[in-house]
Amino acid sequence: MAQNRRQSFHPLFWWFWAVLMSTLLFIIDQPLLSFGFIVISTALVWFFRSGSYWYKTFAWAVRFAAIAFFIRMAIGFLIGVPMPGRTLFTIPQVNLPDFLVGIRVGGPVTSQRLLSTLEEALTLSALILIFAAANSLSNPHSLLRVLPKRFYGIGLASVIASSVAPQTARSILRVRNAKRLRGQQSSGIRSWRNVAMPVLEDSLERSIDLAASLESRGYGYFKNPTRYRPEKWQRRDLLALSGPGYGLIVVLAIPSLSPIIVGLLIPLFALTPVFAS
Amino acid sequence: MITFSNVSLIYPNSERTIIEDATFSVNEGELVLLMGHTGAGKSSVLKLINGLVPHHTGGILSGEITVAGRSTRSIKPGELADVVGIVGQNPINGFVSDIVEEEIAFGLETIGIAPDVMRKRVEEVLDLLALAPLRKRAISQLSGGEQQRVAIAAALVTNPKVLLLDEPTSALDPIAAEEVLSILHRLVHDLGLTVIISEHRLERVIQFVDRIILIHGDGTLDLGSAEEVLRNSPIAPPLVDLARALKMPTIPLSIREFRKNAPAFEIAESRTESAPLETGEVVLRISGLTAAYEESARTYALSNIDLEISRGEVVALMGRNGAGKTTLLKCAVGHSPIVQGKVTVLDRDPQSFADQELIRHVGYVPQEPGDLLYAQTVEEECAFGDRDNNVAEGTTLDIYRALMTIPSLKSHPREISEGQRLGLALSIILSARPPLVILDEPTRGLDYEAKRVLVRNLRRIAHQERRAVFISTHDVELVAEVADRVIFLADGELIANGTTRQVLTASPAFAPQVSKALPHSPWLTVTEVESYVNAQK
Repeated sequence: MAQNRRQSFHPLFWWFWAVLMSTLLFIIDQPLLSFGFIVISTALVWFFRSGSYWYKTFAWAVRFAAIAFFIRMAIGFLIGVPMPGRTLFTIPQVNLPDFLVGIRVGGPVTSQRLLSTLEEALTLSALILIFAAANSLSNPHSLLRVLPKRFYGIGLASVIASSVAPQTARSILRVRNAKRLRGQQSSGIRSWRNVAMPVLEDSLERSIDLAASLESRGYGYFKNPTRYRPEKWQRRDLLALSGPGYGLIVVLAIPSLSPIIVGLLIPLFALTPVFAS
Repeated sequence: MITFSNVSLIYPNSERTIIEDATFSVNEGELVLLMGHTGAGKSSVLKLINGLVPHHTGGILSGEITVAGRSTRSIKPGELADVVGIVGQNPINGFVSDIVEEEIAFGLETIGIAPDVMRKRVEEVLDLLALAPLRKRAISQLSGGEQQRVAIAAALVTNPKVLLLDEPTSALDPIAAEEVLSILHRLVHDLGLTVIISEHRLERVIQFVDRIILIHGDGTLDLGSAEEVLRNSPIAPPLVDLARALKMPTIPLSIREFRKNAPAFEIAESRTESAPLETGEVVLRISGLTAAYEESARTYALSNIDLEISRGEVVALMGRNGAGKTTLLKCAVGHSPIVQGKVTVLDRDPQSFADQELIRHVGYVPQEPGDLLYAQTVEEECAFGDRDNNVAEGTTLDIYRALMTIPSLKSHPREISEGQRLGLALSIILSARPPLVILDEPTRGLDYEAKRVLVRNLRRIAHQERRAVFISTHDVELVAEVADRVIFLADGELIANGTTRQVLTASPAFAPQVSKALPHSPWLTVTEVESYVNAQK
């Protein structure tokens, strides 16, 4: 069932939440907090879970964040300027031409280098997961309805795009099964070409059908489109956003806050959507 | 309401004119059926009416078409949205929203109806199509019949004067089809709606229509009352064929009319059941099977199924949309997650077959036969078939030729007709010589001629080549023609398993027209009646 058991927020709510959270993330810039935000985003997604297809995008985002994390770590180890600290291990260094003074590839990895890379990689992953949470918790269809008329076209295009992805995933599965039925190997590059052709033709056909449907239902022809169920910003939405909001105010007002307090208090603030629902 | 004056249509890069110099008009409150062979141009004529042809698809149009006084020449389809509603062949492709209620409201939102009026209209349409209990449901989780009703509701909500439907019952089981058609019938009678419908399965719609447009495919078309057109039409439902075979003076459009005018002819003696079919070894054996629809599903699509299928018989699998038919068929190729029980093909678990072994044991033609095809031309596709199945060059093409008149070898597999595409997929399967041939819903989009070819071939594959044929279908008439045995599924349980005659005559909804028309006779098909009548002479 696509309906959430819990009361749902305004379609834009999670996007505001994501903007607040990422601002907090950058202002505080604490590895502990980055880690906390990763946990919180995941927890919130789990708490507000639904069976919808956009909800399922979070699993992909987690993979993406993990890949981004490891790439950032690898690059951090390999490339960069020399840093002080205890040398942990050494990677063979590549000799670069003279004009690239100060940059090196490989060389000793110091404890400080490890730490700063880890911090940055964590922040990056946290940022990805915060926005992924917003994406997987807001219904793109109702998002379309709250966007100002000016953005109607863009919104619609993105909704169509977001509905194409899961359908394409389904037709890939269908065609791959069909390949097995024909007695062909279901992996390998040549097999991918054979899968891609029918899937592309399929999605092209679907897009043409959708465009014809929009066209014959008068989409874009009438001057003042109206809304069936206007979604209003409610007090509940405001209440749920107040947590990260207050957090931001506190951090801006008292710049010399101890890291421990920040690490413990801010995540608590960030969890207000759970209480508000 | 709709007038065509001297309309001709031709698509670029095509040698054939779809229609040439057509002049006719359709009045308000009429239900008109468009019929013709596959590819004759039924969809094109429908789309001409709301201007999708040529504005959206291209094509060269001459002459004038007006709908409610507006000419489609200067107006784009979108500007006709308040006058014409259209439901395409695959409604699921045209859905814009994910929730039923929002999908229905979409048309009103775009044309800018005030919210309070909109609420009332949406309520009315929800009630009209009995969708109120489903209003908050996700469209993707509805059954085919429900989705069809949502699509009709979404088209009706703007209060159009004309409703166009392209094969609205092709994906539906007989009961869901009946539901949709009787709703249309009521709309025509109560609201004075003009409905134009294209359909292959005439036996389902013929009793509801006022007039018929018969598209010959060579540019000409006939328009007349249902009786006039059907009297001489090459395409006719079994009931009309039956009336012709019995040389009845009138052409009956419904079972009631047939019975009223049927010649009193004595059925000498109710013929004893034909000799039981000689079947060979058991190919597919299913015991105590419980299976899920997909890996993660919590509810089971099938529960406790026991079944055997042997060489030399055609077995038809019937049941309503969502009864678990496809899941059962997929078990035979190891694509359905089995929870409990056992499935064996020639005493082996189908999941254990390696790539090449599978097709040598089970040939499976999926619902979309096009999924099996990936080459750019028919010729190349057949060559791939030979290579994949390690058979002599030309084998697949020879099988294809034996099945039917084949299209040009250079044409793209996506461009050939549904019947030809099904034949192509079937010949590729057959070139691997599997003892079990499975077809999932093969009759979607097939006209009567293509179905006759299919029936002839399936019977030959089973009875002469001694293979087991297992098909799932909604098409009662096809089952009557082709099947030796029928299995009936309801909500994942096997509720009937017997000879075609036993199962089909047991339920009125799934009975073929001949047995409804001659209820005390043992016959299911027109051919059977014909041979009896000829024998009497």
